[in-house]
This record gives sequence, structure tokens and C-alpha cells, in this order.
Amino acid sequence: MSLLKVEDLQAGYGKVEALFDGHIVVEAGELVGIVGPNGAGKSTFLRTIAGAVRPTAGTIEFNGQSIASKKPEDIVRLGLSLVPEGRAIFTDLTVEENLRLGLTGRRSRDGADRAIQEVTDLFPVLSTHRDHQAGMLSGGQQQQLAIARALVSEPLLLLLDEPSLGLAPSVIQDVFAVIGRIQQQGTAIIVVEQRAHLVMSLATRTMVMREGYVRATLTPEDAGDEAKLADAYFGMGEETP
Amino acid sequence: MIQTILDALSNGGLYGLAALGIGLVFGVMRLINFAHGELIAIGAYLLVVTVPNVGLPLGLLISVTGTAILALLMEVGVFKRLRYAGPAVLLIASFGVSVFLQRMYEVIFGALPVSAQVAPWMNGVIQFGDTTVTRGTILTIVLALGLLGAMWFFIERTTLGLQIRAASSDFNTARLLGVRSNRVLASAFVASGVLAAAVAFVAVTQRGSVDPLFGINITILALVGTVIGGLGSLQGAAVGGFLVGATISLLNSFLGSYRVYTYTWLFLLVIIVLLVRPGGIFSSKALKERV
Repeated sequence: MSLLKVEDLQAGYGKVEALFDGHIVVEAGELVGIVGPNGAGKSTFLRTIAGAVRPTAGTIEFNGQSIASKKPEDIVRLGLSLVPEGRAIFTDLTVEENLRLGLTGRRSRDGADRAIQEVTDLFPVLSTHRDHQAGMLSGGQQQQLAIARALVSEPLLLLLDEPSLGLAPSVIQDVFAVIGRIQQQGTAIIVVEQRAHLVMSLATRTMVMREGYVRATLTPEDAGDEAKLADAYFGMGEETP
Repeated sequence: MIQTILDALSNGGLYGLAALGIGLVFGVMRLINFAHGELIAIGAYLLVVTVPNVGLPLGLLISVTGTAILALLMEVGVFKRLRYAGPAVLLIASFGVSVFLQRMYEVIFGALPVSAQVAPWMNGVIQFGDTTVTRGTILTIVLALGLLGAMWFFIERTTLGLQIRAASSDFNTARLLGVRSNRVLASAFVASGVLAAAVAFVAVTQRGSVDPLFGINITILALVGTVIGGLGSLQGAAVGGFLVGATISLLNSFLGSYRVYTYTWLFLLVIIVLLVRPGGIFSSKALKERV
């Protein structure tokens, strides 16, 4: 049984449809990438899986349960955490308060202190700034905080929406190194990224989205194949469905 | 002079509590609840009806509980159903709830003021040298400090308070982290009901009677306070409300027989504050981002 299985997913905002055919399968512990140009529906896809956007059609099965009509606060308790685009940390709250909010979505009340200890071991910079306002952190540190906050709920599946957005290249390398480490510890991850090469080097499979459709699935071997990549990205020599 | 300052502190505390009640609900759901005045009114009605029969302690308990329940009913009965509606719809709905309750009070308690001695000892005076203040003035200051302290503890030091602060600054992200939206909103309404009951207690001892429009004046002025303080900031609401209440009291003292102009001067000051700081004294970043 797959950890996550999404089929024929459609969603949008009001009357504007943004996602026409979202499908994805993620096995336990796997890292799957989603790439594609701006406005391809990548964020909507993730937000719909996490319950922040209501699907208009389709099925989402997570860990053996249908979650397509559940609220986001219930979905996180089943072990699926989204780190939204633009980090969305609470800038007025302290680093520690941000982390404590992440505890809200834990499945059990036990081990909360240990969970916070583990993420601060993973992101040492957060323990040095523990009592500072989160808004004082640099962009890279805020991204680390957003990921750490999602991790304290000990998710089975972590959804990351453009973790590199607005970060300096060297910082991006650090963030992706940590993403790799999180996967090695057994957490399945879906990463949405504009930087296709970065994701493809880590992911077992990478889905390409365009105009609200999942158009292609690429393997790590395709990373060097510029022609295939461009084809998947821009849809050359392909019929429109 | 000391008397003037104590009166200003006391009136400021009263309006600070009213503004904080409005600010709490605005913070979590971006609803400017005009029906907050009707919460204050029911608190006062419950006091004048019950205190003569069951005594002050039990009457206070009934008033606080009843007001909190009505606040919860507003949320569950009306605002919960409008969760995805825009701010304009919420605002109009709160007007509707406000007028509906005013008419209900008229039907139940009559259109004329209902009066009763709720706590006559509060009008007794205390003498400090050549200064005289009423017990009510001192008690209001103590009550306001106590309740503001309790609210501070609730918001800043408890888990539910942390969730309320998170939901105030970014409701959707808070939900993604597992914050139960309905529970947070319901608790904000209950807290605002408790604050309304405290305001009702002080106001009814000052005025001695209750009518269906009892809460309107203080609500409108408290709303001005939340705007001055910066909509969306809880400290801002409390401080803004305090400033409005204290200013009214000071203007009343200094203007003496010209006190008909109190509100003229008050709103002139309000305009100046808003010209200098359009977002209010504690302008909220979260609000700017969302609107």
C-alpha cells in the first residue's frame, strides 16, 4: 500500500480552476519532486492534498484513509504536514513559540520535548535564537524554522512548497542538504521546486506540472537529458489533452 | 488633581476592557462585532434582574456565565455559518445581530430603563487627605488591572492563548499546523463575553439602570479605541481603549461647564492620531499582509 495516492484531483479558488488533473503516488520514505513553470498549479496541488484548498473532484488516500474532505487541522494529525510557500512563519512570535505551535499537530502528547530537541539538533541555529522574534531571523533561518515547525509534529509525509524561494544559492544548498537528511531519517517528502535540477538530484521521481496538469514523470537519469527536460517543461511536440 | 487622574485611569480601564473584548474577536476572525454592545447590555440586564433576588456574588456569576453563553451563541448560531464570507458580510451580519438583540431586550425587559441597586457600596467615597474618590473608581482600576493581567496571562502564557495569537496573525497557516479553528474562535468569543460582563458590572453601578441601547455608546467609543490602537493588535486594542476612556474623563474634568464639547475634542484628537499613524499606534503587520 502506498503512503499517498492521489487520483484525478481537481481544485481551484472560487470559480477559477487551478488544478485540472493532479495525480501522484508516494511510497513510505520516498522523496518525490514536482517541478514546473509559474502558475502550473503546483502550490494548489500541495495545498489541496494538505486540506487548505477543497478539492472539487478526485480522491486523496493517505496511509489507508480517504482525506479528500478533511480539514487541514485533522489532516496534520494523521501525519501529513505542509510547509507553505513563502515560509509562513509567525514573525511576531518567538522561535520557540513557532516550534511549540508545531506540536499542536502531533498524533500523541508524549515526546513533545524530545521532538523539539530533535529538530533543534537538526537546525542548531534555532536553539541559539530560541527566544528571539522569528521575524528577526534571516530568510534561510526562517525557512529552517518553517521546516522544523512542521517536523515537530513527526509527519510521515512532509510537503515542501518551494523551499528555495528568495534564498541565496549557498543557503539553498544547505536547506536541500537538510531535506536529504530528513528523508534519510525515514520521512517521505514531496518537494515543489522551480529549480528542476536541484530536485531531480535528490528525488526518486520528479513529476512535471504545467497548466494544472501533471504532464510527465522523470527519473534521476533524465536530469542530464536537457532535451527531455525542456520537452516536459514546455510541452514541445505534444498534443494538448 | 489626584482625583482627576484616578477617574481617568478608571474610565480608561473600563474602555480598555471593552476594546479588548472587541479586539479579541477581530483578531481571530477579522470581524468588527457591533453586537458587542448587546453583550454588555445582557450582562447588565442579568445583574439588575438577579442581584436584588440572589445577591451580588451569585448575580455576578449568572451575569458572567450568561454573557459568555450569548457570545458563544453568536459565534455558533451566526458567525460560524459565515466562515468563508468576506469582512463586509460579517460586518453587516453583526449589525443584524445587534439590532435583533436590541429588539429582543425591548420585548423581554421593556423599552424603558430597568433600574436596581447592584452594588450601592461602590458609590461610597474614600477620603485620602483632601482627595475624595468613590469606591467604584478604585474598584474599576483594580478590576481592569486584574482582568487585563488575567487576559495577558491567558494570551501570552497558555497553549490556547498561543493558538489564538497564531490564528490572529495567520489563520490558514495556524490550521495547517493543527490549530483547531472552531475551538480557537469559540474561546475568543467566550473571552470577549467575559470582558463584556465585566464592563457591564462597572457601567451598571455607575448608571444605575439598563435600557436596550445600554451598550451602544461604550461599544462605539471602544471601537474607536481599537482603531487608534491598531486593528489586529491585542495590546493596541487595550491601550487604544484605555486612551479613549482616559481622554474622555480628562476632557470632562478640564472642560467643566463646556463638557458638551468633550466628544468634539476627542474626535479631533482621534483624527490627528490617525493622520499621523493611519494604521494605529500598534499597527499590525499581519493585517496589512492580509487585506
